[in-house]
Amino acid sequence: MAKYQIKICERQLEGGIYLEEFKYISKTEPCVFLETPAILSFPLNFSGGGAGDSLVQVGDRVSKGTPIIQCLTGIIHVASRSGVVTAIQDHPITHPSARNSKCITVETDGTDNQDYLPPLNWPFNAVTLRQRAIEAGILGLGGAGFPSLKKWGDGTQILIINAAECEPFLTADDTLMRIDSRSMIRGASILSQTLDIKKVIVGIEDNKPEALDAIKLAIAESQSSCSFDIVLLETKYPSGGERQLIWLALGIEVPSGSRSIENGILVHNPGTLAALSRAVDGKPVTDRVVTLTGDLIANPRNVIAPIGTPLLSLIKAAKTDPEQLDSVTIGGPMMGYSISEYSAGITKTTNCVLARTPTKQPEGPCIRCGACASVCPVALQPQQMILALKGDSLGQALHEGLVDCIECAACNAVCPSHIPLAEWFQFGRFKQREKDLEKKLAVAARERFEKRNERLKRIAAEQEAKRTTRRDKGAEALIKARLSREKTL
Amino acid sequence: MTDEITILGAGVLVLTLIGLSGGALLEFASKAFHVHGNPLIKSIDELLPQTQCGQCGHPGCKPYAEAIASGEAINRCPPGGQETIDRLAKLLGLGSLPLDTESDTVLEDLVAVVIEEDCIGCTKCIQACPVDAIVGAAKLMHTVITDQCTGCDLCIDPCPVDCIDMILRPKSSDYWMPGQPGVIVSDRSGQIEMLHHG
Repeated sequence: MAKYQIKICERQLEGGIYLEEFKYISKTEPCVFLETPAILSFPLNFSGGGAGDSLVQVGDRVSKGTPIIQCLTGIIHVASRSGVVTAIQDHPITHPSARNSKCITVETDGTDNQDYLPPLNWPFNAVTLRQRAIEAGILGLGGAGFPSLKKWGDGTQILIINAAECEPFLTADDTLMRIDSRSMIRGASILSQTLDIKKVIVGIEDNKPEALDAIKLAIAESQSSCSFDIVLLETKYPSGGERQLIWLALGIEVPSGSRSIENGILVHNPGTLAALSRAVDGKPVTDRVVTLTGDLIANPRNVIAPIGTPLLSLIKAAKTDPEQLDSVTIGGPMMGYSISEYSAGITKTTNCVLARTPTKQPEGPCIRCGACASVCPVALQPQQMILALKGDSLGQALHEGLVDCIECAACNAVCPSHIPLAEWFQFGRFKQREKDLEKKLAVAARERFEKRNERLKRIAAEQEAKRTTRRDKGAEALIKARLSREKTL
Repeated sequence: MTDEITILGAGVLVLTLIGLSGGALLEFASKAFHVHGNPLIKSIDELLPQTQCGQCGHPGCKPYAEAIASGEAINRCPPGGQETIDRLAKLLGLGSLPLDTESDTVLEDLVAVVIEEDCIGCTKCIQACPVDAIVGAAKLMHTVITDQCTGCDLCIDPCPVDCIDMILRPKSSDYWMPGQPGVIVSDRSGQIEMLHHG
């Protein structure tokens, strides 16, 4: 019988764009469970949570929920259906690098063998919950795949559920909330009660009335003691960016260079919270909602698919011939990346498979119209940064604020010269990260070099001191000997 | 007359006092805010790559920084490459120079690896490593801590059984880097129709 309040957001997103809505395309058909595909593949190093090691060998029998990959960060990925491990080798992956990487291939056997964790009994503490998140493989299901438990620190005051879903084609979160808001609200309540968070805010764009009703009902039925606020946002891209959402919901600007969690604000995707609720019941992350949409998809809809399902099976499930598609976009049209190897399996962060008629336009020169600067939600000067990056001067781009770019691609959408600004910024940010790492190693190397020099000096001084005392002792003994000889004479 | 002398005397006194107190203040400041060493050396050292490889002819990056501060050429650091030279030139207000290097200098990012089955445990490479990146003990196998190796190759020569190789620095298994965008336009947002923006 939890209480909630609905607020209409009075703040305006700085910059941002109003995009044409395409959400209706995938919203008309009901969401269905995908038939278990014959083959599932799980990348060892790109499943989210960092590089990982295989916990199984070729020939091993796995069930739904059997741990198969452990990442260096500790996160465990499980098999999403029961079957037999048939190969651990290079295989296409669903990742922006669009390359082959080591994957575990599981041939499913069609049975429903389960290997779940024991359910947790309330009350439990944050340590238990973190351990469960590791075992159940809970990652940010919104798209970044950041291990959620790393964000669960002490001193968090507010939990924001990021239900904005501002990409124009995506309806995966919308669908999840319509069919399973209860899990989401339960996950949010569990998390906020273990971490002692008093306030939960749901940030949702005003183009999802059905999801909003479902959330209201779920909160009303919930036994949670938290206070819930629902903030209705204007539909404007990118209101679902973490910093943008915090600004809209709370009026707080997260300073550049600091994380929202350092400011006491925790932001989670609805899918992550729903997965957490299921994990408490013992069910690890094995499935996710995927949107299949775009004008080239014959039967656009949302499906609940096992993690590891090849893109091929998804495309076929939408009654579309994969041969007809040159490539598909994974994620939304704004921030997604394209993939043309359809044998790649979906990961926990694959929220959408989008196929549209390609309309590639040649890149023109920058005419310095400033349209990109007026839509940048972070108030950067993209035209200046792109000039710096194309001129190979990363330092200048950083000076212009490259590290604050959220790669939302609003600048791409308005550029009359069709310059791929966001791709350049992503490229620049990766280069910067590499430079930072180099710098860190250099500083550590200098420290070790200096310490070593000190040590060598100290050792040399000690040896010198020893030699001197030895010499002095020798001289003393000599004098004594001479004296005693003289005495005897 | 006496008035004038008094005024003059007072003036001299006041000016002397001001002078003395100013002097005392300067003396105090020079002691309290004394700068140890040449601050320029630190700024130069910051720009050097810290491989401590000695290819510049100095035993480490700091000694080369000291040499640059007292007038040595800025183009003797092969691991730093042209980028470091350009930065040094900017810092010191000098013109940039091409890298002064022998033709066989390797400019790739390398690390040392010990071929462990051949290692006899002589500890010679441990003594040669300027950044303490090799571990091992006498008569026991040694190994290189790859993350801490600067690729200076100073351990190669001392090895009596030639069991150290230089290889390209391995990338972590989840490493990836987006390619530099070409002139090909992105397929992101190609079809998005703008209603209005602002």
